[in-house]
Amino acid sequence: MPARYLVEAWVALLVLSAATAALTTMHPEGAGRAIVAGGVLLLAGLKARVILGRYLGLAGSHFWMNAFGLAIGGFLLLSFALYTFGSKG
Amino acid sequence: MRDDLEIRPAEGERDILSELPGELMMWVLIASELLVFGAALIVCLAVRAIDPVKYAADQAMLDQTAGAINTLVLVTSGFCAAVAVRSREREERRKARLWLGAAGALGIVFLIVKGFEYASKASLGIGIETSQFFTFYYLITGFHALHVVAGIVVLALVAWADSVRNMEAAVAFWHMVDLVWVLLFPIIYVLR
Repeated sequence: MPARYLVEAWVALLVLSAATAALTTMHPEGAGRAIVAGGVLLLAGLKARVILGRYLGLAGSHFWMNAFGLAIGGFLLLSFALYTFGSKG
Repeated sequence: MRDDLEIRPAEGERDILSELPGELMMWVLIASELLVFGAALIVCLAVRAIDPVKYAADQAMLDQTAGAINTLVLVTSGFCAAVAVRSREREERRKARLWLGAAGALGIVFLIVKGFEYASKASLGIGIETSQFFTFYYLITGFHALHVVAGIVVLALVAWADSVRNMEAAVAFWHMVDLVWVLLFPIIYVLR
């Protein structure tokens, strides 16, 4: 695996982590709060994809990348649903 | 084993399992760990839905900065581990050991930061039985920290028994620890 490929993945993870930190500084109310939460979970999903694809080598298999992507995406969606349900009232 | 007794995919048939890089058993472990941590995080969010006010009050006591620092530490450690495997594949064994050492050292930094976090909670009288939130916090992050300890030991072992196969398997475990953290961190520390 080329070194550039690994460096790109590391930089992507740093950028996504910085974006998560930026989102945590926002404290909107109502729908804005759910949007921020959705953004945080989306960024977590993107970080997971980078680790799975680049570091764990799943980028070479569409089937397994999609399988793990679907499982993690489903988990994040369920997390978001529980978060929004728990934020009502 | 006789060749004619082996089960092989028919001509033109895709062998999905062979598309997984590295050891199959490592992937079984990765999938199981993701399921265990995933289930614990979902239950944690379900607990939040039952009493969101109390949950939010407890969660506000967490140190998000420490969690964010640990994210940077772990993703950088994962990078070092990935470079170690690349170096070993290119027969640069000394370099590979150095990168593994860096990955392990960052793992220790992660544990030190986590230790400070736990000590700060303990100084406030917060323990595993303080509330449902803190029960989940200690169980999930503590179980993850145990994986970090195991990962550091495994990285040290493969720095010694440094076949490419050993190193790939150990580093895959380390990436799994990293992967669990990037999913755990937003749910435990960030979603408020």
